[in-house]
Amino acid sequence: MIIQWLIVLAPLIAAPITLAAGKWKRNLAGIIASLSIGISLAISGITYFGVSSGSTYQEQFTWFSNVSYGIYIDPLAVTMALMVSFVSLMIHLFAMYYMGKDPNRHVYFVETSLFTAGMLGIAVSSNLLEFFMFWELVGLCSYLLIGFWFFKPNATAAAKKAFIVTRVGDLLFLIGIVALYEGITTSALSADPLGIQYLITHSSAVLAALGSTKLFFVTVMLLGGAIGKSSQFPLHVWIPDAMEGPTTVSALIHAATMVTAGIYLVARVYPLFVAAGPDMLYILAILGAFTAFMAGTMGIVMNDIKRILAYSTISQLGYMLSALGLFSIYGSAAVGISLYHLVSHAFFKAMLFMSAGAILIALMDLRDVRQMGGLWKKMPVTVTLLFIGSITLAAVPFTSAYFSKDTIISASWLYYSGNGSIMYALPWFLLELGSLMTVLYTFRMFFLVAIGKPRSFLAEHARDPPLVALIPVAILGFFSLVFGVFQGSFYNFVSGFSVSVKPVPLEIELIPLLMLVLGVAVAYLIYGTGAWSRLKLSRLPGYKFLKNKYYLDRLYTNVIAERGILPLSGAFGSFEDSYNTANVRAGRGVLSFGSLLRKLQSGIVENYFLVIIVAFSIIFVLVDLMGGF
Amino acid sequence: MTLIAVPGWLESILPMIFVGFAGFLILAIGMKVDSGKAFSSITFVALALSLVSVVWQSYDPVAGSLVTFNPFNAYFAAILIISSLFVTFPALRNLTERRDIFYSLLLFVTLGMLVASFTMNLVVMFVAFEAVSIGTYVMAGFHKTRRALEASAKYFFTGAVSTGFIVIGLSYYFQATGTFDLTAVTIVSRIPLLTALAFLIIGFGFKLAIFPMHQWAIDTYDGSENSVSALLSTGSKILAFMIMLKLFVVGFPLLGQSVFIFFTILAILTMTYGNISALSETRLKRLLAYSSVAQAGYMILVFSAVAYAQYNGMSAGYIQFIVAAGMLYSLIYIFMKGGAFLALNSIGKENPGLEDISGMGTRSPALALSFTVLLLALAGIPLTGGFTAKAWLFLSLINVKLWWLAVIAILNSAISVFYYFRVISYMYRKEPLSGVIISTEKSVIVPVALAAAIVVALGIYFYVIYFILPFVGFLVGG
Repeated sequence: MIIQWLIVLAPLIAAPITLAAGKWKRNLAGIIASLSIGISLAISGITYFGVSSGSTYQEQFTWFSNVSYGIYIDPLAVTMALMVSFVSLMIHLFAMYYMGKDPNRHVYFVETSLFTAGMLGIAVSSNLLEFFMFWELVGLCSYLLIGFWFFKPNATAAAKKAFIVTRVGDLLFLIGIVALYEGITTSALSADPLGIQYLITHSSAVLAALGSTKLFFVTVMLLGGAIGKSSQFPLHVWIPDAMEGPTTVSALIHAATMVTAGIYLVARVYPLFVAAGPDMLYILAILGAFTAFMAGTMGIVMNDIKRILAYSTISQLGYMLSALGLFSIYGSAAVGISLYHLVSHAFFKAMLFMSAGAILIALMDLRDVRQMGGLWKKMPVTVTLLFIGSITLAAVPFTSAYFSKDTIISASWLYYSGNGSIMYALPWFLLELGSLMTVLYTFRMFFLVAIGKPRSFLAEHARDPPLVALIPVAILGFFSLVFGVFQGSFYNFVSGFSVSVKPVPLEIELIPLLMLVLGVAVAYLIYGTGAWSRLKLSRLPGYKFLKNKYYLDRLYTNVIAERGILPLSGAFGSFEDSYNTANVRAGRGVLSFGSLLRKLQSGIVENYFLVIIVAFSIIFVLVDLMGGF
Repeated sequence: MTLIAVPGWLESILPMIFVGFAGFLILAIGMKVDSGKAFSSITFVALALSLVSVVWQSYDPVAGSLVTFNPFNAYFAAILIISSLFVTFPALRNLTERRDIFYSLLLFVTLGMLVASFTMNLVVMFVAFEAVSIGTYVMAGFHKTRRALEASAKYFFTGAVSTGFIVIGLSYYFQATGTFDLTAVTIVSRIPLLTALAFLIIGFGFKLAIFPMHQWAIDTYDGSENSVSALLSTGSKILAFMIMLKLFVVGFPLLGQSVFIFFTILAILTMTYGNISALSETRLKRLLAYSSVAQAGYMILVFSAVAYAQYNGMSAGYIQFIVAAGMLYSLIYIFMKGGAFLALNSIGKENPGLEDISGMGTRSPALALSFTVLLLALAGIPLTGGFTAKAWLFLSLINVKLWWLAVIAILNSAISVFYYFRVISYMYRKEPLSGVIISTEKSVIVPVALAAAIVVALGIYFYVIYFILPFVGFLVGG
């Protein structure tokens, strides 16, 4: 057993201890959970130094047949583990304030530490099946945490929705695993067909074994899992509703960590996606870019501060997915580029959510940005942190997202210019538009929250939370601002070779900045000055379409669920009913048959011998008839 | 590894010496003093020493003529000793008089079991088997209640008949093969061998309680004291199973098909009869007795599968795997069944019914949990040893392509879940009855909890069968 097991085991073991201790003393729960994640962080840190000096940590045990379990830590895994444990630790510390008065907070910490264990398990799994099990664990924890305030009907509905929608993705993922396993095992290529290490080092052998069609199918299925978890189009519908959970949950699960698991899955088995061919990579690029744009447009019309951030998360995840499609530009360094945005996004989105959480506490859970206003004066520290998060999200130069996101946009231009065809311009085009959307919704939110006059009683009386509580947020803010410094070294570390950022024409490089200026200007003119309340924006063409989230929710519930699945389930239900009745009848019959049989048991020994003689005569005849004698 | 520096032959019979000596010692002490604690302790120590000397000795591969010391035999010897060990202390609770006799009987019964396990000679086996039977007749009626005496009487009558069947079967067997030594069966004459087969199945089937020779068992398990029921349904049953294993796997080489059909019919009838009758049973001990009939049905699937593999000319590996599954089943079975019977000790009432166990979950959580584990194991729920046992047994059936038989067995297993779960639901979901005392003494809980713990351990260590497989080679040559 190598020490790296503790990365997963520390929070996993801590979960029941947290429960027990929390039952005894509520406040102990947060401390124990945070400590256990601190251990994970410390060991991830140690592992980082080991990995950066060139070693790979792994240990596998056979689980059954040719499926193993264990840990496999390479630069990619340790990056993920570090990010998860660090952000999770910060959020746990903040949650001790945020959840400080909840009577069930010990349960909250049990669930979050279990969640963190699952997430770290995903990061360091050595086997795809093990990966899947942790993947399900985080899905379960997400369900539990979204519905944490189960007395709110919205929250339970959102929890169910999240669970069911991600379930679609999980099913696809499982099908992918099965197809992959079947393909590799039948050609008897490997002793450990689902081992991550095998998959990423022998992708060409896998391609040869499965054939390109089947491998394409497998990767599509894996991608299906990824878009369910990472809420990409068309399975993105669950995240906005998931905002019904505690804000720290949104920060931890639906911004920084769990939703990145899908991206991480693609990154983890990236060689398979590469082997599946350029079409697969194009799908990644275009799907991500489309999601980035589409979610951005919806973010503009939302009024709930957490939902704005939720759509922003979907959009940013789109950038990460898109970056993974740019293999033809950066080779396998595309993983590094995507991961870099993933990590910087984790920093600034977690801090955005936590500052929003601090605002919501001050405003007694009033989430409508239209009723906020003027908070910069009322709660200066919190809103300053929100400002830092906002400029990072909008990719203002020299913040971390400026390096991480604009690199992706530039690379998508190269993707077009390298391939020439207009089809390849689409990702670039959508990503550029997406960045405009990002600026628009970000500053719309910020201006509505921060400047102008307070537009409600609650906003007038808002106060900063205790500054101690904001320390974790500030730490994340610091990283959001300065993380860009590590761009080059990050790429090199994750890719394992020296990556140079490819230059693009200056005019192309300037487009995102132009978008930034344009976006801030428009947002200020409409939302900074109070003009929005006079303009009838909702009359604008397309507003209704966006407000209704492209009618996708309606398509899923009204058409697919109500017209398709409900009648089907009704049919199954009535079949089930009659089947059950038949079952009950059969059961009754068997029971009375049993009572009848017990009548043989008369208690009189003489009869027993009679039974033996009769029964054996019958048995002898039977044996003879069946050709025994 | 040699424990004590003794000659090889002495080392081999050391287990029997411990047990037999202790039996006489208790009789001698019993003339002067009557201390149940002393007797049970002596018994326990003797059995433990015997177990240790069985497990930790190096067996010379040289086979004797009448007794054969090899790991296969030692495996069963160990199981049988454990089944006696398990009832040693619990039996003390309900013993009021002549405790010396009871414990010396227990030891002599165990001695008989040991002799039977260490022989491949049918005559020796028969004598040892009878020694066990006679000892257990006395034990069944030892408590002199009306129910116990009736149980003992029925047991004795049927036992006497079964002895007759065995003796006749053995004489036909000798006529057919010319030997009583199972390892030396060569000349086979078919007709007397068939007759011997039928008689021996009936004779030994009594002890194993397979349909239709099971009826005494229901009454006897029900009427005897709990720890005696435990011994009867574990030790004496596994003894019969072991003897049949030796007899039918080795002794009837050319009759594969007959053995197969015979045992398949019996297995299906036994399983189904036991499970279906238990469904509507409301007396706990009878319920467990029916369940033990059903378990016997699972066990004799081993013979069907072996015979099927033999007459289809499958290689010895297949047969070894089946036999190993049967051996594993016996090991896990003694813990499940023995523990379950001993758990009934806690109910301060004779002939307890389902309703008497109500509320055990709140009155004695530890005991209720352990009992639940044992019942789950009997039902074959995963993560308990019962699942391990059944899974390997059914897998071994599938391995020789007896799919349909495995399906029948699995369906039976599914039926059995009903009555086990009903007991569990009574324990946890019903309010306690006022007039019933549920004891929470350590002497009741410890053996049950221990059995439950072992069952869980065997459930988690699923691959335990690979530990057993090497032993089979001494019965079925590779």
